[in-house]
Amino acid sequence: MSRKRRGKGLALVAVVGVALASGTACKEGDTERSANPADTLFADFAKRVDSYITLREKLTDSIGDLDPTKSQEEIAARATALGNAIIAARPDAKQGDIFTPEVAAFVATLIGQEYKRRSAPVLETREDQQEELPDFEPQVNQIYPTTYPLATFPPALLPVLPPLPEEVEYRIVRDYLILRDIEANVILDYMPGAVPSGG
Amino acid sequence: MKRHFAMLAGVAAVCVPVCATAQDMKLPVMDNSVRFLVIGDAGTGDREQNQVAAQIVRWYNEFPFTFALMLGDNIYGNERPQDFTRKFERPYKRLLDAGVKFHAALGNHDDPNQRYYKPFNLDGKRYRTFKEGNVRFFILDSNYLDPEQVQWLEKELDDSESEWKIVYFHHPLYTTARRGPEVELREILEPLFVKHGVDVVFTGHEHIYERFKPQRGIHYFVVGGAAKLRRGDTRRGPLTAAAFDRDRSFMIVAIVENKMFFQVVSRGGAVVDEGIITNRETANATQAAVMPLVRSP
Repeated sequence: MSRKRRGKGLALVAVVGVALASGTACKEGDTERSANPADTLFADFAKRVDSYITLREKLTDSIGDLDPTKSQEEIAARATALGNAIIAARPDAKQGDIFTPEVAAFVATLIGQEYKRRSAPVLETREDQQEELPDFEPQVNQIYPTTYPLATFPPALLPVLPPLPEEVEYRIVRDYLILRDIEANVILDYMPGAVPSGG
Repeated sequence: MKRHFAMLAGVAAVCVPVCATAQDMKLPVMDNSVRFLVIGDAGTGDREQNQVAAQIVRWYNEFPFTFALMLGDNIYGNERPQDFTRKFERPYKRLLDAGVKFHAALGNHDDPNQRYYKPFNLDGKRYRTFKEGNVRFFILDSNYLDPEQVQWLEKELDDSESEWKIVYFHHPLYTTARRGPEVELREILEPLFVKHGVDVVFTGHEHIYERFKPQRGIHYFVVGGAAKLRRGDTRRGPLTAAAFDRDRSFMIVAIVENKMFFQVVSRGGAVVDEGIITNRETANATQAAVMPLVRSP
């Protein structure tokens, strides 16, 4: 289900990406989308995320799915077990494995363009909310520190970014864009300098 | 900028919890009423949360609501099993034992895994909808409003034929508190609310109470002071209908047919706001006023 969703979203994002990168939408010649570098970059990103999900599915097969339960012990134990299994299964994971330099550069451009489109009231209130951004140096395979809140993700930015399966999400830490496994609370990758100041 | 203490005319000074008897309860308790509690930013586990919870129980004795809306930041800080006991199960034990069902929204301090915690009734989802009587409730995850969630909301709002549509989530679309409103969320959500006839929006995040004059026909409440408090954090502006930032507070609501009766109560037991709202089907957007609440027979 998540892959199907991602496939559909990928096509949409590729179109958006092409339009944003070229600065115009629906120009002649854009029909040849497959030839656009954005398509290749996002396809590569999706493939890397897919690889992670395949690995994760193997791990959850042994750990088991989590259904709603009254037992917080069970929820916590499962999150810890899944987190440990993910970290153990990716011992050599490093920054840039998923956000490759090419993908990161393009995503940073998309984010920058989205920030420039923001209305004055949005920018003003965003600055007020800066204090909420978590202040730590993210690491790959790090458990997201539970002492920090998860800052609200700018909602207008999400449609611009490559879509993700439901197990994974984007978050912002300082000026980093991080990729986080939601249930396991593990940072899978991050890209530095992704978010312009005032974001 | 100069800050003003928002004080409600006639609000009594905060009394100690022991003096309160909930004698000012004016909400109708009828078989066909939808009765609920609204609390936000409650999960500290500290003395103040427990004092507010004790006050809630006093009002529950007079006004037996059947469920509760939690507006996020349900569990602050660590989320170990013992934290769920200290910050949720123990303060609200009396209500839980009485069968009051809690429906939580996720706040920025909440681990999304709370959706698996059965007493929060999220059924493993970050956003969901449920119906009580003639009211359809929509719970959103305002921390991460992705396109799938927006699409889901639009479909659910469109499908709903309930007399009342109430949406709740953590981050306020309107507030005068220091951190300000979530304008970006508002730009996305408010057009959907207007298009699909949402009547009331409850949010938390700011540790105060605020009610706004109807905006595009929608009544917006911030109820974020069930444990934490930002004293003096509201600024009365042209949109303000009522505000309270001198103590913690919670809200109780009864919906009977096309009327929503509400009271907002401080930790000390003083009623700091109250009124009656009529739903959009019977009050058009420009005349959506709040009527005074009188004691029900």
